[in-house]
Amino acid sequence: MATPDTVTTETPVVTENEQLARINSDYTERFGFHDAENYLYKAPKGLTRELVAKISEFKSEPQWMRDFRLKALEHFLARPMPTWGSPMLADVDFDDIHYFVRASERAERSWDDVPADVKKTFDRLGIPEAERKFLSGVGAQYESEVVYHQVHEDLVKQGVIFLDMDSALRDHEDLVREYFATIIPPNDNKLAALNSAVWSGGSFVYVPPGVHVEMPLQAYFRINTESMGQFERTLIIADEGSYVHYVEGCTAPTYSSSSLHSAVVELIAKPGARIRYTTVQNWSTNVFNLVTKRAVAETDATVEWVDCNLGSKLTMKYPSVYLMGERAHGEILSIAFAGAGQHQDAGGKIIHAAPNTTSNIFAKSISKDGGRGSYRGLLEIAKGAHGSRSKVVCDALLLDEHSRSDTYPTIRISEDDVNVGHEATVSKVGDDQLFYLMSHGISEEEASKLIVNGFIEPITKELPMEYAVEMNRLIELQMEGSIG
Amino acid sequence: MSPVIDVCLLDELPPGQRRLVEWEDLEIGVFNCAGALYAIEDRCSHDDGPLAEGEFDEATCTVECPRHGSLFDLTTGKPKTLPAYIPVDTFPVIIEGDTIKLEVE
Repeated sequence: MATPDTVTTETPVVTENEQLARINSDYTERFGFHDAENYLYKAPKGLTRELVAKISEFKSEPQWMRDFRLKALEHFLARPMPTWGSPMLADVDFDDIHYFVRASERAERSWDDVPADVKKTFDRLGIPEAERKFLSGVGAQYESEVVYHQVHEDLVKQGVIFLDMDSALRDHEDLVREYFATIIPPNDNKLAALNSAVWSGGSFVYVPPGVHVEMPLQAYFRINTESMGQFERTLIIADEGSYVHYVEGCTAPTYSSSSLHSAVVELIAKPGARIRYTTVQNWSTNVFNLVTKRAVAETDATVEWVDCNLGSKLTMKYPSVYLMGERAHGEILSIAFAGAGQHQDAGGKIIHAAPNTTSNIFAKSISKDGGRGSYRGLLEIAKGAHGSRSKVVCDALLLDEHSRSDTYPTIRISEDDVNVGHEATVSKVGDDQLFYLMSHGISEEEASKLIVNGFIEPITKELPMEYAVEMNRLIELQMEGSIG
Repeated sequence: MSPVIDVCLLDELPPGQRRLVEWEDLEIGVFNCAGALYAIEDRCSHDDGPLAEGEFDEATCTVECPRHGSLFDLTTGKPKTLPAYIPVDTFPVIIEGDTIKLEVE
């Protein structure tokens, strides 16, 4: 480590190799472990019409859902793989994936009823503890299905529905059918078609008019087995004047073979409602994370996506908000951290389809050790959406010469009376910044962490405190060994 | 006065069937939903791809865009699902004698 002679540092002297080894050992210890497989059912690798029908049969679904799945499978098979995004997409092998794995009979309402191995895993991840401390409800998905689901009794009394998607289809079929796939139809894109064919688990949330869910609802997604495909489906409906904050996290063991996570998330904010959806994505670096997330905000409604991408091999995810009612507001805050071997292709889309709508997209990416961070975004203002205002800011920070940052912003404006701003910066952690901090007695590694923390702070401050602390810790972990 | 064009004989478009017609640079799909006739522009408002040859559901009087799955209400031209959000043009259908005709402007 190159440090000026005049500066003393308390950082223990370790070699770069030791530091890199520490990163891996920590992920393995905290998130990268795996359990023995005591499954009720594990589908053989590969995707067939018979398997799709079997998933539907396992879940005792109504005929319309079975038909929906089979039609989606046809769409998936007919569509080519996207040719944009990342060359890594070519490495996805759809024949080398287990599409359905059942670990327990049902979504339990008590942790004591969850299979012991699985409960132990969620204990290690700190989910039951978080539930006791600061959450209104929790859904815990292990492989294909939700193994635990619980929501505070007072919310149930107010009419809030928070269920795993399979249970919601069973218990509230009419409500699910009214909204399911209206925001993201199966044929929207190849991966949405795949999810529509084999979806399993995920959350269903309905918040009645005027109800404010004060503490967040959380879902945690865990992949355990090798070559797994996880395809959860989430639908959140916030009725008029209501509020809900939904938080999701995810981890997986590190294997040499690839896994696939491909979710579909649909949000509907009715007039005057507000939905905040926070993601802390920390998949292991053998997971392809190809997700479709889209929201509709009606008159005076607000939708906020807070999207933090740390893990995975390749993430392609562009949460979007369609501002369909007058004065609706959309907000996308995105952080992507790309380390060795990773490509984070993230960003967001906002469509102003009504007058006097407003939006912000703030995207930050950090690339190091040869990682690649891309911002891909769309801002569209439709004819008639007069008086609309939007600001798009995307900043990239490169920590070394080997890393890469790309920006692909698209702006389409079909109305005259609007106010749109776009700013983009790419910066490299400079020697002068490091030297300034180091001249105050801070080690080079610590200085680098401070610069990164300052860079992402505008977004982490939007996270609930518990997640902000975790996020900063994860970033620090990723930063270890970045100064060699 | 809008131009009026012939589509086909009434017998040639029974319930559950559709027909594509062209007029100048316009392409229009004409649909028979259980005896009621509707006409929409053959262009999805999402990405300008063809629309009228998508899956036609006579019961709900909708057509699904074959490219990205938006479902359009044939009676109004409005999309019922995303990703399309702008209505497509509709055209008045006239029956004169045994012939189906369209007002195309």
